[in-house]
Amino acid sequence: MSDTTFSSSRIGRIGGLLMLALAIAYGIGGSQIDYAFASDPLGPRVVPVLLAIILAVLCLFYLKNPGTAEAFPTGQLLVKIVAVPLLLLASALLLEPAGFAASIFLLTFGVGWIFGAPLRLALIGGVGQAALWWFVFSYLLDVYLPVGQLFG
Amino acid sequence: MTRTFVKTLLAAGLFAAVASPAGAEPSKPECLAGAKPGGGFDLTCRLAANALLEAKIIGKPMAVTYMEGGVGAVAYNHVIGKRGSDGNLITAASSGSALLIAQGKFGQYDETAVRWLGALGADYGVLVVAADSPYKSLSELIAAYKASPTDFSVAGGGAVGSQDWMKGSLLAKAAGQEPKEMRYVALEGGGAVLTALEGGHVKVGAGDAAEMSKHHAAGKVRVLAVMAPERLPGELAEVPTAKEQGVDIEWPVWRGYYVGKDVSDADYKWWADAFTKLVATPEFVKEREARGLYEYTQVGDAFDQQVKADVARFKIIAKEAGM
Amino acid sequence: MNLDYLWNGFTVALTMQNLLIGLAGCFIGTLVGALPAIGPINGIALLIPIAYTMGLPAESTMILLAAVYCGAEYGGRISSILLNVPGDAGAVMTALDGNPMARQGRAGEALMLSGLSSFVGGVFGAVGLALFAPLLAGLAIGFGPAEYFVLMVFAFATLGSMVGSQPVKTLIGCTLGLMLATVGLDATSGAYRFTFNEPELGDGIEFVVLVIGLFSVSEALLILEHQASGVTVIRELGRMTARLDDIRKSIGATLRGSVIGFIVGVLPGTGASVSSAVSYTTEKRISDTEGTFGKGDVRGLTAPEAANNATACGAFVPMLTLGVPGSGTTAVMLGALMLYNIQPGPMLITERPEVVGGLVASLFIGNVLLLLLNLPLVNIFARVLTVPNWLLVPGILVLSVVGVYSTHASVFSILLMLGIGIIGWLLRKAGFDMAPIILGFVLGHVMEVNLRNALAISGGDISILFQSKISIILWILAGAMAVMPLIAGWRKAKRMKTATS
Repeated sequence: MSDTTFSSSRIGRIGGLLMLALAIAYGIGGSQIDYAFASDPLGPRVVPVLLAIILAVLCLFYLKNPGTAEAFPTGQLLVKIVAVPLLLLASALLLEPAGFAASIFLLTFGVGWIFGAPLRLALIGGVGQAALWWFVFSYLLDVYLPVGQLFG
Repeated sequence: MTRTFVKTLLAAGLFAAVASPAGAEPSKPECLAGAKPGGGFDLTCRLAANALLEAKIIGKPMAVTYMEGGVGAVAYNHVIGKRGSDGNLITAASSGSALLIAQGKFGQYDETAVRWLGALGADYGVLVVAADSPYKSLSELIAAYKASPTDFSVAGGGAVGSQDWMKGSLLAKAAGQEPKEMRYVALEGGGAVLTALEGGHVKVGAGDAAEMSKHHAAGKVRVLAVMAPERLPGELAEVPTAKEQGVDIEWPVWRGYYVGKDVSDADYKWWADAFTKLVATPEFVKEREARGLYEYTQVGDAFDQQVKADVARFKIIAKEAGM
Repeated sequence: MNLDYLWNGFTVALTMQNLLIGLAGCFIGTLVGALPAIGPINGIALLIPIAYTMGLPAESTMILLAAVYCGAEYGGRISSILLNVPGDAGAVMTALDGNPMARQGRAGEALMLSGLSSFVGGVFGAVGLALFAPLLAGLAIGFGPAEYFVLMVFAFATLGSMVGSQPVKTLIGCTLGLMLATVGLDATSGAYRFTFNEPELGDGIEFVVLVIGLFSVSEALLILEHQASGVTVIRELGRMTARLDDIRKSIGATLRGSVIGFIVGVLPGTGASVSSAVSYTTEKRISDTEGTFGKGDVRGLTAPEAANNATACGAFVPMLTLGVPGSGTTAVMLGALMLYNIQPGPMLITERPEVVGGLVASLFIGNVLLLLLNLPLVNIFARVLTVPNWLLVPGILVLSVVGVYSTHASVFSILLMLGIGIIGWLLRKAGFDMAPIILGFVLGHVMEVNLRNALAISGGDISILFQSKISIILWILAGAMAVMPLIAGWRKAKRMKTATS
């Protein structure tokens, strides 16, 4: 599973640079935290700046040797990998306007299909799960879930 | 032609659905607590919900809902942005909310963005020391503070700018010190203040009467002064007010409610009248005392004025303290 | 020794509600353990928000989560034996001798034997925990901000034993966790840090959002990549009772595994994957005189199984007594306590004895329930292995969305969870472990606040951090913990050098 390739270590380096950028941005942000005054000698800025420096130093070590990493997905698998978060995003945005049942159906049907279920089974699974979870949360566990403006 | 007609019909229907009959009891009474279950806002909501139902002022139970975040800031923004005209909804607040508004910590909105409905009870600030502390009165405490200000650590359950910090800053000022220079230790709530006092890590703690009175009675700590206009009933009856001890500090922590800005006058009046009716009932007094709150009633426009005055006062105090 | 907290704990754990919660937890835990896709940490991450929004009190939530944790250690063996795919990290070693047994037509026997040794390990661990907890808790008195800070230093120093082969990645993970903990209202100065004027970030990043993002969303993406292909379930279970002969043969191995497991569990920073490996290799060295290990030897099956269950209990020792997590899973559970406004720390056992006692007592009850569930019902759990991913993964995602939404009723937190999940997936691809992030996040806030409060008390004088006896002892322990793996590595290198020359 941990098939280390040269390209994956290059991706590791890109990740290291991104983290270094994060450390710098976080440090700059930390040094500009807005406050009136602090009752303690350190104040709210010192710890973030310290953490930024630590992360930056660690990133340098990491860039020198990114270690083992898994190969990044390509081709069809990459499309699938991107599609799952997009479906989550869509169902999160639809949750309040369209309601729990509709948005969960979208999620379970879509993800089920991506995970290789035949279309018919994915549809049945989606409807089934939407109904099951609605029943479990609304009736058994009494958790508040949006009904949606379409049906409410 | 037909389309316009349908549209009008739809609009009319929608309007009818939204606008409830003026002055009637809310069909779905709800109290929003801007915190987790179990906190101060929850307590405030439950006071209204239980007492209104017990006193039979509402027929249906009032739902308590929670929206945690930013010590009430998320709920404040939510009410203003999404439920500004909802006459069913009241939202819990406290003088802490007014303090945060004064410091601009409720986002872009100020105290005029909602309608303040009323307060049903209050707690009061107290200053406490450990049971084995050498200080027996507020004046001894202030004298000791004056003698060695750099060695005097004050603990409270909140950050710089919080209510407990404000109480400490009033003490510092009474001792002739700059609140900015106060050696303040910000802890997580009253329980941690108690532990820090008992462990001898800090010299004095700022807290609330309801919580500290139990520990005072149990002999764990000594309450030196209550920040109330008059002595409090119950376990703290022996403890003099700050004013009695020659220091003019008052810190009431009222617990109240607001509604959205665009709630109709009729709905607002219904709630205000309900509160006025409520505070006279024995059921309410029982519910209020069960929650460790002292008598403090202000309803309607008087309360709205009070909150605005509080915010103005807090702004001055904060500015004086160097915030 | 005063064990009152334990007897009181039994009265908490034996109420009807908590018994049912424990039973449910055992069942869910075994399922979660048996499914190769998800482990105890994912199961617990998904259950925390549900338990919280159901309004369960803190002790019931802890009983639920502990039952899931222990159940997962039982359940992990099922897929190890039947699929040759470990159900969770602690069950890797179980497959080495368990799967060969199954292929010899002795799957039923392997399940029964390993169930029994799981029980022995679990009960041994629970006894150890019950005796150990009050001993350490006596230290709690006298903990001020300075001592808390040094305690947190100690907790991070123990990461030294967690670093594994890629220490830089562990340290980066830890730092990222500490950075995430700084988001929100600064508890000391009242300043907003890294909130980008978003009121929903005012209280910081919600623990539930972080943990579900890191462990559920990223897990779903990993499952998609690693869609198991061509694994065969062994359906012929054979006789469903263990042979007396085998039980007699494995008693020693089970007991040794229990002891090793408990000790490894108590050490902060190491978990079931370490203990089962250590116990397997130890057992192999002691007992494998005929070269039968790896070919279906019952001792190779029972030793790691006992060990991983004892570890689960042992990991509670540092968590309950010092507020320092003993493993990734207990770090998550500690975060769950914070939802109830219970601060991790040495005061826990004195301030909330019902939580600590209830949890410890529930481990005894839970192990009995698990034995009862796992012997006769093992068939049902075995069938679960055939649930296809296209049903399982959407279910995980639904639980994630509902869990996050129900604690906050905000779409924003779902989006935050999604973002954290994607970053978590990228980090895991790059070989980062998620546990140090959780550890940094859970402990970072306590560490910063107490350092700053200590300095506020002393007026900036750093010597306050070295004043009390407790602090000095903790500094020494922390130094030892940090240096030990270095020395071990150095000695290993030296040994290799002498071996080659």
